[in-house]
Amino acid sequence: MGLVEEVGPEVTNLKRGDRVVVPFTIACGNCIFCKKKYWAACDNTNPNAHLMEKAYGYSGAGLFGYSHMMGGYSGGQAQYVRVPFANVGPLKIENDLPDEKVLFLSDIFPTGYMAAENAQIQPGDTVAVWGCGPVGQFAIASAFMLGAARVIAIDRFQERLDLARSLGAITVDYSEEDVSVLTALKDLTGGVGPDSCIDAVGLEAHSNELQGIYDVVKTALFMETDRPSVLRQAIQAVRKGGTLSIPGVYGGLLDKVPFGAAFGKGITMKMARPTCTTTCSRCWSALRRVRSIPATSFLTTSPWNKPRRCTKSGVTKKRK
Amino acid sequence: MSTSPLTEKHCAEDLPPSIGASVVVNGRYLPPPEDEDGKLWVRTSALVLKDAQTLYEMWRNVEAAPRWQEHIVNVVETGATTSRWSMKTSNEDDAKVISWESEVLADEPGVRIAWRSIGGESDNAGEVIFEEAPNGVGTVVTVLQEFRMGKLASTWETLVGRHPKQAVVENLRHFKALAETGEIPRTQLDPHGDRGVIGNFKRSSYGETVPTPTGGN
Repeated sequence: MGLVEEVGPEVTNLKRGDRVVVPFTIACGNCIFCKKKYWAACDNTNPNAHLMEKAYGYSGAGLFGYSHMMGGYSGGQAQYVRVPFANVGPLKIENDLPDEKVLFLSDIFPTGYMAAENAQIQPGDTVAVWGCGPVGQFAIASAFMLGAARVIAIDRFQERLDLARSLGAITVDYSEEDVSVLTALKDLTGGVGPDSCIDAVGLEAHSNELQGIYDVVKTALFMETDRPSVLRQAIQAVRKGGTLSIPGVYGGLLDKVPFGAAFGKGITMKMARPTCTTTCSRCWSALRRVRSIPATSFLTTSPWNKPRRCTKSGVTKKRK
Repeated sequence: MSTSPLTEKHCAEDLPPSIGASVVVNGRYLPPPEDEDGKLWVRTSALVLKDAQTLYEMWRNVEAAPRWQEHIVNVVETGATTSRWSMKTSNEDDAKVISWESEVLADEPGVRIAWRSIGGESDNAGEVIFEEAPNGVGTVVTVLQEFRMGKLASTWETLVGRHPKQAVVENLRHFKALAETGEIPRTQLDPHGDRGVIGNFKRSSYGETVPTPTGGN
């Protein structure tokens, strides 16, 4: 999010001084995937595509501020950023919506919105969201926008849970003594389980169960790369035939994922990085339509400058 | 197509004809040739959203090859089917430049081009074919390239830059980006902090130090 300082000779739809939001996925607009509107899978924008091909089979789009595997582009949160294919990605903001409302269109709002879309929510559904960070908050807001009757939010930080409640969610603090997430979700759904589960946590999940220690040891020994405790829990928790949507990032190889449970219940799993540029425009219309977007409240209520209680180890203690 | 003496048996199959870079022959998938006798083979393909004729013309314009092929310094046409190629052997500015003469063996506009080196400091041959994608959207470009190179030399090149086989894959990727978007994106000029010993080793061995062709003049 910022102002255009300078444009290259072939940039036709932007000029110096334009107010723009630049999605973090870099899309060329001309390859087979861009033509299919699947911008995060662009064929042409990752100069280090061969690294990703080795790990993932095929390469996706280059990303601002990600690893070298995703192109090694300098991050988008710098003072100045060079934007390749500027005719394709940037979204011009031509009204007076404040910066702090449109800022999140570059990444987390489309991520949360696409998570809710991927959750295949039907009107009246119950949706459980793991992780109440920014993506989780937007997933909660978007789930309501798409018709969810009840959203259950799971985290352990009070200010995040407060924000989730202010959006209308029922909150579960998994770090509280006697709280078991699986039991809580059964209790809140009459034993049926949530119709859709959203894992807005990803590979750096923390757990206060034995598996938390297991994952810490295995990742330390490079015997797995991710700590998938939320994924395991979400697969267990989703109702039979339900949908699991995964906006939380996973990077590599995961251990002890209960695939039998996923198969046995016949669940649908949908996951992806947001296809930003297109999701962005849907969010853009949502942003103008709906007032209860959590955007501004992040900047005002979240004490980012305070040291976090987040432990690097991946294991949390039960709070008394 | 040559006739096999085996066809006397009722269940015998025809020997495959010379199929060049093709991936499918008589309905069967054909794996790429294996490296042997000091010859390295690489076959790679890309779906490019342009028509075959445009792509053929781009590829056939050999003097423009330095715009999208890594380490190629310049190419000069020396005749209707021959050209002189010069290539840097490493990433340094003062790198040794090798050169060789190349000859086009087959030239079918919009369909295929085959070539080989005829003397000079590189021994290589190759073919590129342009086929319409099965759904009619875009063109599948398949390159088969062969070169003679010792194991020691190819291992060394892998450590200091790219394995020559990977270079063929990367060149096709650059070709696709240039054909589809008119440019080749790169990040090598982005500012960055010190990457340390391990970071620099990774950069080098991952081929990130090989200058991305500019796509322009």
